[in-house]
Amino acid sequence: MRKITRRDFLCGSAAAVAGTMMFPGLASADVDTSEQVEIIMYVVSDRPAGQDVVDENLNQLLLEKLNCTLKINWIGWAEYQNKYPLLFSSGETFDIAYAATWLNFASLAQKGAFMSLDEMWEEYAPDNFALQSETALAEATISGHYYCVPTLLSTYTAYGPIYRTDMTGEDWDGVMETWEDVEEYCDAILANNQAVEPIDIYSMGPELMLTYLQSLGYMWVSKSYPWLWFDPTEESPTVKSLYQLDEIKDFLEMTARFNEKGFWSKSALSDTDSMKPQNGKSALRFHNIDSYAGISANYGENIGQGWGYSNFVADNSHLPYTQDCMVISNTSKNPERAMALINLITTDQEVFDALMYGVEGVTYELNDEGQFTITDTDLYGAGALWAARSDALVRYQAGYPEDYTTMKEEIEASIVAGVNSEKFAPFVFDTSSIETELSTCVNVQQQYWWPLELGYTDKDSGLEQYQSMMEVAGIDTVIAEAQAQIDAYIASL
Amino acid sequence: MKIKQSGSTKAFYAIAYIFVGLMALICLLPFIIMVSGSFSSEQAIRFTGFGILPKDFTLEAYRLIFKTPMTVIRAYGVSILITVVGTVLGLFLTTLTAYVLSRKDFKYRNWFSFFFYFTTLFNGGMVCTYIFYIQYLHLKDSYWALILPGMFNVFYLLIMRTFIAALPHELVESAKIDGAGEWRTFFSVIFPLLKSGLATIGLFLALGYWNDWYNAMLYINTETKYPLQYMLYSLMQKTQALASIASQAGISISDMPSNSLKLAMAVVATGPIILVYPFVQKYFVKGVAVGSVKG
Amino acid sequence: MKGFVKEFKKNKALFAMLAPAVVFVFIMQYLPMSGLVLAFKNYRYDLGVFGSEWNGFQNFRFLFASGTGWLITRNTILYNLLNLVTSQALAVIIAIFITELNGKYFKKFTQSVIFLPYFISWIIVGVFVYNIFNYETGLMNTILGYFGVDPVNVYSMPGVWPIIICCFNAWKWCGYNSVIYIAAIMGIDSGIYEAASIDGATMFQRVKSITLPSISPTLITMILLQVGRILRGDFEMFYQIVGNNGQLYNATDVIDTYVFRSLLQNANLGMTAAASLYQSVLCFVIIMVVNAIVKHIDSDYALF
Repeated sequence: MRKITRRDFLCGSAAAVAGTMMFPGLASADVDTSEQVEIIMYVVSDRPAGQDVVDENLNQLLLEKLNCTLKINWIGWAEYQNKYPLLFSSGETFDIAYAATWLNFASLAQKGAFMSLDEMWEEYAPDNFALQSETALAEATISGHYYCVPTLLSTYTAYGPIYRTDMTGEDWDGVMETWEDVEEYCDAILANNQAVEPIDIYSMGPELMLTYLQSLGYMWVSKSYPWLWFDPTEESPTVKSLYQLDEIKDFLEMTARFNEKGFWSKSALSDTDSMKPQNGKSALRFHNIDSYAGISANYGENIGQGWGYSNFVADNSHLPYTQDCMVISNTSKNPERAMALINLITTDQEVFDALMYGVEGVTYELNDEGQFTITDTDLYGAGALWAARSDALVRYQAGYPEDYTTMKEEIEASIVAGVNSEKFAPFVFDTSSIETELSTCVNVQQQYWWPLELGYTDKDSGLEQYQSMMEVAGIDTVIAEAQAQIDAYIASL
Repeated sequence: MKIKQSGSTKAFYAIAYIFVGLMALICLLPFIIMVSGSFSSEQAIRFTGFGILPKDFTLEAYRLIFKTPMTVIRAYGVSILITVVGTVLGLFLTTLTAYVLSRKDFKYRNWFSFFFYFTTLFNGGMVCTYIFYIQYLHLKDSYWALILPGMFNVFYLLIMRTFIAALPHELVESAKIDGAGEWRTFFSVIFPLLKSGLATIGLFLALGYWNDWYNAMLYINTETKYPLQYMLYSLMQKTQALASIASQAGISISDMPSNSLKLAMAVVATGPIILVYPFVQKYFVKGVAVGSVKG
Repeated sequence: MKGFVKEFKKNKALFAMLAPAVVFVFIMQYLPMSGLVLAFKNYRYDLGVFGSEWNGFQNFRFLFASGTGWLITRNTILYNLLNLVTSQALAVIIAIFITELNGKYFKKFTQSVIFLPYFISWIIVGVFVYNIFNYETGLMNTILGYFGVDPVNVYSMPGVWPIIICCFNAWKWCGYNSVIYIAAIMGIDSGIYEAASIDGATMFQRVKSITLPSISPTLITMILLQVGRILRGDFEMFYQIVGNNGQLYNATDVIDTYVFRSLLQNANLGMTAAASLYQSVLCFVIIMVVNAIVKHIDSDYALF
């Protein structure tokens, strides 16, 4: 049996500048470091078995550079859904916490969970502040205040098929550009290997519709609520729900056909196995370019599997920089030092390496190109403060696919600031006034859309039922609110 | 005593043996599958499912669990600690309270019974309880957070009260005549006679503590303080949670413990308490009935 | 009040014995209830539970906004009733049979074995359920295939899931619950049985006219205790068996699972508190009504 490897999360982004410190002159001069303090930080992940070594090494560095130590508290994967929102209401004293769009950063900020950074960011974390893009600063602003330090790492929407290239036999032409190609590919998989599910769907829900609508150039209002879409090329876009989109019938026709052909399991929504592509049980997954790089690096040539990826998104843009960010707690006793620490870990290669990868020669090795290899993944994978990553400091994992860099460069080149979807990238959907409607719509989406999307329910009557349930749930209120916010956003540009 | 071996009695025994045998089989089979699955290779489970016998026998799952044996041993230690301390304290509190509520000459017994029972109907819910325990009782990351919430249970209280009520009332009377105070009556007269009651409630309390992962999830931060069940639970949840995050945040998914490891963890976690059960079982010879809230 | 003071003076020691539990329950259970004001507040982290603004019944709206409130309330009650009847019935039958068995080792062995499912966590049960019922490779369809029967897609038939869930629930708890009934049967005075056997009663008569009546107070109390939590679903059970499969929700959604899913995206603590308050109030009302009815029929069986 293959040894289970705990792969790190780092998917890397722009070219890594190995071993160079971009900002030798640290601006921590503004912070009073005369007193030694302990900064307490919460991250969402499980504590690696070999964390002690990493902590010791990191704290030695931090004492030298900032006269502080860092205590990392871990909220495990088994508990984050319950514990994370409660963390900010318990009155516990801590300084920094990891935050993210998928941890409801905006909604928590609106409810006063974090300390405002207006007075502190530029003053105590000047290097970090200087590196933030306009877009990132706008995304960090909730109700007129800065509430987080977003990641300095650029990531992209870039959804598309990630697929095995060594499973189709001779029947496939190797082209993967359109949805027809997807169908041909799946046909070839089925013809060649009956035990393999061509498309990976499991209990966390399908990503087909997301990919499909983005391939048509649509953009979501918020990824948390992927049933509100608009066309970013319009001058003043109209927010539409799924059933209002003209193309949705074509989509449902396609997925109904896919289902009939057996491209995915009839019980997919109850299948909790999230590792089917990696383990050779299914051939294709719809996800983004970073997932491709990760899968390919860890489950590629090293174990005799071939992987390909193609970006289906018609109109590329950056993902919100708040998808990984850091916040300061209301209860923090040393917010200034905490900000200085954030500054340090995001701009100092030595500290960043110590935080993310651990101790060179012990927990990780670097090759000539500055790519890292984790020594023993059972002991230490990589740090969990993903928000500390930046385009300048992040390292690739050795074995990343070669086309990853070129594809990323292509995507970056295709993005024009302030045009089309990139124009709307900083838009943050304020949900505070419509939480009741949203919570019911979220349920309807899962209950009625997922089975419909997979062709389990009839494409016509199912769509009608979905529409009527959404209307009862109050989607019109949500659409009106989203529309008003989009209009206001455009007016503010 | 001898029951007439009539036809209908034979039929009764036939039905009884078949039914009980069948139930035992239904209960045993999944357990066997669980054990054998834990010795099967991951690929075999993925592609051919579970079986009665291990498929493609391997100790890989156990090797992984015991790769850092200290973690498992410490988790066992925590589980044993909270189970023992919690059960002893819980038994004492339950018995003491049940004794008072069983006393017919205690006028407010029904009033107090309802005071306890009300908490099963009405409670603060997870959020309010959590905030209160953390903010005012400072239970975060404390072993007490694992012991206190499960220590007192109205259901156990009612069973225990019935146990005590079944004892002859004259015992208390004669103790009083001998000049014993309430405390001495309780400790030296009532307590020693409650063996099967203590065994039953002790078993329920111990099982509750041993199987509890929820309080550990809410209140414990330090991994070295995880009880065994929560260690197991967090291992199992990783796969699912990671997947959901990955799909939302666009980070790739890490390889996590899979089926055989889940099953092996379950075997490791249930082993010791199952060995305890037959030992306790012999105390169930004497009867008990659950009484109502009023006495 | 005067009577209370008098009673207190008379039974000081008893009050002292009761004090630890009263204080304990008051602190651990009653005080946190004060937090339920959250249900009527627009909770802000920076203002805290008591400092946040009141917002009336806003937090309850999500439960009822789309008519789901009624559906999930009904489901929760029906599941609890179904599970109550089946699991208690199974436990009683097992207890009666096991206590009558003669073989010492068979009796001990089966009694221990029937306890095993209690130790199999719902997560593992969830894994089993999927392996039995999944359409392509599930055990059920594999067996049907041997007999040439067409495969059945159980995941598209919400109607059968109440039965599946109910079976697993009864299976998991039968050993645990039967302990109580076994103990109750052992407590029956053996003289009564002997008298019956002299009268020439058959086993069936003996069970019907001695055993069942003797354990019925226990049974009724167990039932009433369960009715007291009729609005609370076993979240782990539903979540691990049904999970994210929306096709089944109309037949399987209970209050706890609905609330969990609804609040995953916005983590509104006020709404969570509102849901638990709703459950508490309904539980309270229902048990009061049921208890009054039982009291009316036979006051000996009433819970309080």
